[in-house]
Amino acid sequence: MAKILIPTPLRQFAEKNDSVELAGSTVAEVMTALTAKFPDLRKQLFNDEGKMRSFVNVYLNDEDIRYLKKDATPVAAADTLSIVPSIAGGSPSIAGGR
Amino acid sequence: MIKIGEQAWSAMVAHAEAKFPNECCGAMIGRIDGNVKDVTLAAPMENAYVGEQGARYELRPEDLLEADKKARAAGLDLIGIFHSHPDCDAYFSKTDLENSCPWYSFVVLSVKNGKFDHANSFLPNAEQTVAEKEELIWPKS
Repeated sequence: MAKILIPTPLRQFAEKNDSVELAGSTVAEVMTALTAKFPDLRKQLFNDEGKMRSFVNVYLNDEDIRYLKKDATPVAAADTLSIVPSIAGGSPSIAGGR
Repeated sequence: MIKIGEQAWSAMVAHAEAKFPNECCGAMIGRIDGNVKDVTLAAPMENAYVGEQGARYELRPEDLLEADKKARAAGLDLIGIFHSHPDCDAYFSKTDLENSCPWYSFVVLSVKNGKFDHANSFLPNAEQTVAEKEELIWPKS
């Protein structure tokens, strides 16, 4: 069973657990098991098309799965998965963002 | 409501002023008690944006992961993100919104002529289309 660390703001959707242990041989299987166990998490992590939201990154131990095999990255029982957001921004003076 | 303690606030303002005229960024750590987010520690981070940083910032996910680990080890929670707007008001820009995450409070510090001026906190939605203003309390505010 792999361990998934739940970010603080998402614990309200995961019965207040800060981590859960779930079965799955790939990242996709573990993430599916996570949202099956806690359906309210699904909207937080996936968009209406079922794709992971753009700001959601998954790390296998300390490695970003985008640089491994993405969703197909193998997961072992001793592994820890972390959900980490991408965050950026800026004021409008040169960003054209106002 | 997000309430920032003296030590955390001093670290945030010092980071924002030190990085002026560039944007700074970092994480806020503490506890959530009901509707009150109590920030006790600030973790200043490197602005990882590649290019002119006067009006852009980017947090490395690896740095956030590390901050989350440290918070967990201390029995605390990662509850927010802060960044500065040099010579610009503390509002949530389109760039901020489009690169945000709905899970955290986003505190924006306005730094004018190198000195802290004012701050606001925002709660963006999951679709990154709207950010509500959140009540922000900092020392001596």
